[in-house]
Formats: sequence, structure tokens, C-alpha cells
Amino acid sequence: MSKKKEVLEYVDKEGKRTDGRKADELRAIKIEAGVLPRADGSAYLEWGQNKVLAAVYGPREVIPKHHANPYKAIVRYAYRMASFSVPERKNPRPGRRELEISKVSGEALEKAIFLERFPNTAIDVFVEVLDSNAGTRIAALTAASVALADAGIPMRDMVSGVAIGKISGNLVLDLNKHEEDAPDAVDMPLAVLPNSEEIVLLQMDGLLKRSDWEKAFELGMTGCKKVYELQKSALKKKYEIANGDEQK
Amino acid sequence: MPRTIVTPGELITSERKKLGSNVHMHEGRIYSTCIGLVEEGTDFINVIPLEGRYRPMIDDLVVGIVTSERFGGYGTDINSYYPAYISRKEVDESLRPGSIISAKIAKVNEINEVELMNVRVFYGGEIISVSPVKVPRIMGRNNSMLDLLKQGTNANILIGKNGRIWAKGGNTKLLEKAIAKIEREAHMENLTNKIADFLRAENKGAGAPISAANGKIPVEQTKHADSRSMEMSEGRDI
Repeated sequence: MSKKKEVLEYVDKEGKRTDGRKADELRAIKIEAGVLPRADGSAYLEWGQNKVLAAVYGPREVIPKHHANPYKAIVRYAYRMASFSVPERKNPRPGRRELEISKVSGEALEKAIFLERFPNTAIDVFVEVLDSNAGTRIAALTAASVALADAGIPMRDMVSGVAIGKISGNLVLDLNKHEEDAPDAVDMPLAVLPNSEEIVLLQMDGLLKRSDWEKAFELGMTGCKKVYELQKSALKKKYEIANGDEQK
Repeated sequence: MPRTIVTPGELITSERKKLGSNVHMHEGRIYSTCIGLVEEGTDFINVIPLEGRYRPMIDDLVVGIVTSERFGGYGTDINSYYPAYISRKEVDESLRPGSIISAKIAKVNEINEVELMNVRVFYGGEIISVSPVKVPRIMGRNNSMLDLLKQGTNANILIGKNGRIWAKGGNTKLLEKAIAKIEREAHMENLTNKIADFLRAENKGAGAPISAANGKIPVEQTKHADSRSMEMSEGRDI
């Protein structure tokens, strides 16, 4: 078989990606706070094709009681993907991947919350991915952070995140599914507390040179700040709507 | 001047000021810890929260629902982190799961466990649930809003600091509407006048006489309300 190997081009000569974005451009993000009336706090987020719904309950009594910590609140974060969120039906049973994401994302949120103010309680965060297209753990964490703020839970800072990647030698921000599936793709989700620039979540799939890593991190930090601004405006918008009603 | 809304982690000021509630200091700068409105004085800074749960404080008046009988007392849901405890000595009559009570908080310990005193039992009436952070707005300065609501709806109203309002008699439907309006617009200015206009318009529309101090509106029997308050307690027994 002497078939000519097809070379895929992910970033063209003008610096445009396959979906028309520039290297440091995010996908379209839409956030709405307070969508679920029965939850203490909630948020709905659309990040490109990703659709995520987050709900927060608590601080409330811990059941079973032996999980409670008398010094601080515990955060129970549940990241789940709906069975229809991927092209081929997914088994709804939480698998290895979902449990791991729940663990690391919950720990990321713990860094932002004043847990020691709520001894013996649990803060429950449920995030359901309704539609996925790469970068769902970051989308889920971003939505969960807005939901926590909407629940009025005291926090040091919001948690904002973004994924950085390297495809065919180009560093790019916020990979989509097509880019993530590239044969040489490197994917690095990053979440920070945007004011203090503390890192609360950092994972990497693939390898990066040290010089590349530093550039990627810088790219990610600017991306996180952009996401942070969107989170802030989503929270404030909830109260602007009430203002608008009054003018009518 | 409208107050600015801040989100958690948002920088409020870099000046040195006394820290009020819902703010924290990091590297000499003051940040908000929750979504709320900034209240700034010459030497202090405060954030009035717009969301949040009830945190029990000593001497607060709360409205609770008895959830369980315990050894020597009762477990009561007061909308806090866990059920509060009423000693049997504090009540003259016997309570059952589902009983509606109002009480004063006698004790709160380090882990926010509550003991209640001065228990009063209610029969009938309705419970309206609101966000606990909006209770000060529903009461108003020197109870101005509460007086307005009592006058406009002719209901007996008791506001618990935990975000439960007990009401009986009068126009409870209108009261519910008015409270919902206060909750929705709690972050806006000049609310008392708006609510006064709202109540006046609603009362006129319904053809009911505007209730003066001696205005008499037949007191509705709220049987439906009783069943609802029972419903609320069901399934909460632990």
C-alpha cells in the first residue's frame, strides 16, 4: 500500500484554526446563574458545544454522619456525564474517569471556600454534562464555581479554568474535540483562583518541552482571566434583570 | 446612589479599613467573600449579602417545624445546618412532629448546634419561606416594612430570622405576592414606597377597602394552609 499519508493542518498560515478561531481565542461561552429554583445555588453553562448544569446544596447535615469533619465542611463534588452527551451511548454508571474528575475538581473548589466556618457540614455540588465536546471538566468546574457563588457560600475567590493544548507544534487555547483527537495533541486543563493566581487544578495529557510549558501556562492564565470576567458578569446579570423589570 | 454589586473574590478597596461582615483581607487589600452590595463608611467596609443560608445567632427569633421527638425534648428544623433542640421544660403543651413553633435561640455552640427557649406553638396559619438574607429587608428599618405589610394585608405576621414567615388571617395571597416582590427587588432603593404603592394598587383592584388602622376585612379561614404546613413536615423525620 503506497497510499499517500494525509497531513492534517490544524493551524493555517494565517494563524486560523479549523473552526476559524485564532490560537489564543476561546470558544463562545454563555453562563446563567440561578436556573434551578429548588437548589441553594445553580448555574447553566454553554462552552462551545459543551452544555453543563451545576447545582449546589448546603452547607447541610452530613449523611452518613461518620463522614463529617468537626473542624471544617466537606465538599462532595459529583461530575457526571449524561448517557446522551457523547456520540455513542455512554453507560450512565460513573466510571473511573468521572470519579477521578470529581475528586480533583472537588479539591480545586475546596481551596476557594472558607470551609472552617461550617464545621460538621457538607457542601454538595452536582454537575451534569448534557453535551460534550472536549474540555468538559473545566466547563463543569467553571459552572460549579458560579453555582457556589449563587448559593452565597463564602469564598476567597471564584475558580476559573481553561484548557491549553499543543497540536502539530502550535500552542493553542481551549481545544475542541476535533483538535483534541489530533495524533500528537497535548491537552492541559488548568484552573486558578484568578485574583491570587493560585493554581487549584493542573493536569496534562501528553508531553511538553519546558519552554513550551511556560508559554502554555501564560496562555492559560490569560484565558482563565477572560473566563473569570464572564463568570462575574453572569452573577451580576441575575440582579440586573430584576432592575430591568422595574423600568417597564 | 445605587450601591455596587460585588462577586466573591472581587477587590473592594486597597485602603485600610475595619473589616465588617462578608469581607476578607489578603495582602493588605480587602475582597468580598460573597455576592452582595458594598456598604462603605469612612473607616469600615461591609458587604450586604444577596444569597446565603441562615446562620444561627443567639437571641434570634426563629420559626421552626418539629421533626422528631428525642430523649427529654424535640428535634426542630429551623432552616439551619442541622436540627435544633428544644428541652421539654421549655414547652407547656406536648409537641408532635409537624408542629409549628416560634422560639428564641438560647444557645449556639462552636459547631452551630442550637438550643431553643421561649417556645410558642402555632395552630393554623401559613408559612412563607424566604431567603434568610432578605429578612432585614422584609422587616424594614424600625419595622417600617412589616407595619406596612400588616396594614396592607390585615394579617397577623411573625417573621423568623431564619427565613420563615408565619402569617394568619387577612389577605395571605396578597402578602405572599408582596413578599415575593420584596425578595426579588431586595437590592434596590426606595423599596418601602414601592411596596406601599403595590399594596394600594392591589387592594384597589380587588375592590377591597383600603385598610386603615380600623379597617375591617373578614378574616379568612386558611384550612388549606394547615394542610400545607403539615405537608412540609412530612418526610423530614429522621
